[in-house]
Amino acid sequence: MIDFARVQKELVECSKDAEGSGIRVIPKSDNLVHLIGTIPGPIGTPYEGGVFQIDITLPEGYPFEPPKMQFSTKVWHPNISSQSGAICLDILKDQWSPALTLKTALLSVQALLSAPQPDDPQDAVVAQQYLKDYQTFVNTARYWTESFAKTSSRGIEVKVQKLVEMGFPEAQVRSILEAVGGDENLALERLL
Amino acid sequence: MDDYASSDDDYNYSDDQDSVGDVFANDDLDFPLVSSKGSTTQVITKESLLAAQREDLRRVMDMLSVREQHARTLLIYHRWDVDRLFGVYVEKGKAFLFAEAGVSVDECRDSSSLAYDSVMCEICMDDVPIEEATRMDCGHCFCNSCWTEHFFVKINEGQSKRIRCMAHKCNSICDEAVVRTLLSRKYPDMAEKYERFLLESYIEDNKRVKWCPSTPHCGNAIRVEEDDLCEVECSCGEQFCFNCLEEAHSPCSCLMWELWVKKCRDESETVNWITVHTKPCPKCHKPVEKNGGCNLVSCICGQAFCWLCGGATGREHTWSSIAGHSCGRYKEQEKTAERAKRDLYRYMHYHNRYKAHTDSFKLESKLKEAIQGKISISEEKNSTTVTDYSWVNNGLSRLFRSRRVLSYSYAFAFYMFGDELFKEEMSEDQREIKQNLFEDQQQQLEGNVERLSKVLEEPFETFKDKKVMEIRMQILNLSTLIDNLCKTMYECIENDLLGSLNHGIHSIAPYKSRGIEKASELQVSWSNKANNTGVTAEVERPEESGCSSRKRARKEGLGGGFFDLNLPAEFLDRN
Ligand SMILES: [Zn+2]
Ligand SMILES: [Zn+2]
Ligand SMILES: [Zn+2]
Ligand SMILES: [Zn+2]
Ligand SMILES: [Zn+2]
Ligand SMILES: [Zn+2]
Ligand SMILES: [Zn+2]
Repeated sequence: MIDFARVQKELVECSKDAEGSGIRVIPKSDNLVHLIGTIPGPIGTPYEGGVFQIDITLPEGYPFEPPKMQFSTKVWHPNISSQSGAICLDILKDQWSPALTLKTALLSVQALLSAPQPDDPQDAVVAQQYLKDYQTFVNTARYWTESFAKTSSRGIEVKVQKLVEMGFPEAQVRSILEAVGGDENLALERLL
Repeated sequence: MDDYASSDDDYNYSDDQDSVGDVFANDDLDFPLVSSKGSTTQVITKESLLAAQREDLRRVMDMLSVREQHARTLLIYHRWDVDRLFGVYVEKGKAFLFAEAGVSVDECRDSSSLAYDSVMCEICMDDVPIEEATRMDCGHCFCNSCWTEHFFVKINEGQSKRIRCMAHKCNSICDEAVVRTLLSRKYPDMAEKYERFLLESYIEDNKRVKWCPSTPHCGNAIRVEEDDLCEVECSCGEQFCFNCLEEAHSPCSCLMWELWVKKCRDESETVNWITVHTKPCPKCHKPVEKNGGCNLVSCICGQAFCWLCGGATGREHTWSSIAGHSCGRYKEQEKTAERAKRDLYRYMHYHNRYKAHTDSFKLESKLKEAIQGKISISEEKNSTTVTDYSWVNNGLSRLFRSRRVLSYSYAFAFYMFGDELFKEEMSEDQREIKQNLFEDQQQQLEGNVERLSKVLEEPFETFKDKKVMEIRMQILNLSTLIDNLCKTMYECIENDLLGSLNHGIHSIAPYKSRGIEKASELQVSWSNKANNTGVTAEVERPEESGCSSRKRARKEGLGGGFFDLNLPAEFLDRN
């Protein structure tokens, strides 16, 4: 049985200093088995400025078994699968200790973004690039951050403005954009 | 075969005249039936499992002045290799030895937390009364309910033998007394499982101890003194190679034996035979055998076809061609067929001899019975000259032992002089020389084994005393000779054949004159019993009630089949 009392306490603890750490954990639905964690990309890395979402699933034995974590934001990193978002991190496997929390685990994931370990890769393609062509790696990682991890709010504003300038009413533009998940072209098709 | 001592046999006997000498006075020079006296292998039963590990635990406890659970943790970490453990101790010191294995010896059972009556458990994030929390030797303190869940999860994950502390990056192994006590309160089944895992670690993690491979399992394990290759016999009668756990197979190496068994089991050889000797009919697909002569074969269904390509043809043909049919595959087919045929014949050569000897020694019990009958009849004659017939049984044991050696020596030769394993090791010439050397010895051995077999079949119960004494002498002489021939053949195998390999890692169990060693029952001495209570007595925890109930549980467990040691623990768990 998952110790939900502890999970509750963890969520409260975490939200207390969310401003300071930038780390957030919120329930995905009304049960506490599936959660969503977010971590800011560390400053001075190609992930800077991005906000990364991590899907968290708690196993039956939590906290005596490690939480399952997986990036839902696409990320270019040697220890994170560019396909599935799977993370290769020891504390999420055999080095897990019940004394760790979701927040400390997310902090470790964030630390992993700062310090890749290409010798123990999850994504061999990325790891190869990291070792052989570091500059290209940095560029790709930055591009992925721009494309997938930038808060959509700013991007959306640009799109709203564009469509409003084309003569559509702002309220309608906003609701349709939201409905199509921010896809500018799809929104235009619907508006026409 | 009547004149064993005739001149053409003298050559064989010449070496042994001295040692046998006056055979009448030398009965005890012969080999006694296998005895377990002084054996270096031991049977560990479920009753003696605890006692078996007690010696090792005791040595470590005495040497390092630690409690039993710490000795166990150290031994499990070092896979019950006491010498290696002491080696680390001498080389790197106690602190290193302990830290590496996760042993924390709590020197100052600390008083600071006793000042408070509650502690905050970092795991469940609750404040709990101090008596509901447990501090491990490493100093980390969490509530009992969290500890219990942790133990449960770890045992389920199969990590019972090394349950680490819950604190992050703490390498310390949890106190087994705490694990037992806390688990048995909430999960008695798990506590039992934990107990069994700890106990069976001595078998599972120890290269000197292995489960007897008998099926159905006899429940025993066998311990050897050195981890050298050897063959043993369990008290259940199962004889096996301690290294690969298959039937005893010396002088084959384990790899040779594995390959040989597979080869014999696979139908590939039979399939091979069919490919060499038959071809499927293009009409009804039944295999058709070629009956010599020309290349036109006909099936019982009436279809005629070309033996070379298998294509359907008419019946009109000459010696070298079939009317209206031409095929160019002759040469190619011929070659592969020839190779397959040669390989097959080679295999059959070795296999037939292997099988003949194996079949003979499988009749052991039957022959023993027959011989026993003859002995009884002889004994009833109340002869004054011949009173003792142990030489008959001894001769029979020698016969079966040497048949075993002979039988496996054919499988050995198949690989030793074949292409499969050692093609790169020897040139054709070298191989031929070695093969001749070996086969010479093998043939001498074989000849004398057959002689012994014949003599043992003599109806000695109907003979006069003088003739009986002659038979007896022949058996004694042949036995000695055969034993020596076996030794020589092993020397040849170990030194000239396997010993000269560059890449081979083919070690074999050494030749044992007395046959496969019977493991002796491990003696459970009084000191073990005394120690039995020592285990529980040394656990001094505040939970006195839990402790004593465990004491009872454990005793019942060992005596009354609480643990079913008939199967390895993990096997039971899988079900
Ligand atoms: Zn707790
Ligand atoms: Zn600890
Ligand atoms: Zn057995
Ligand atoms: Zn073997
Ligand atoms: Zn046919
Ligand atoms: Zn013909
Ligand atoms: Zn043909």
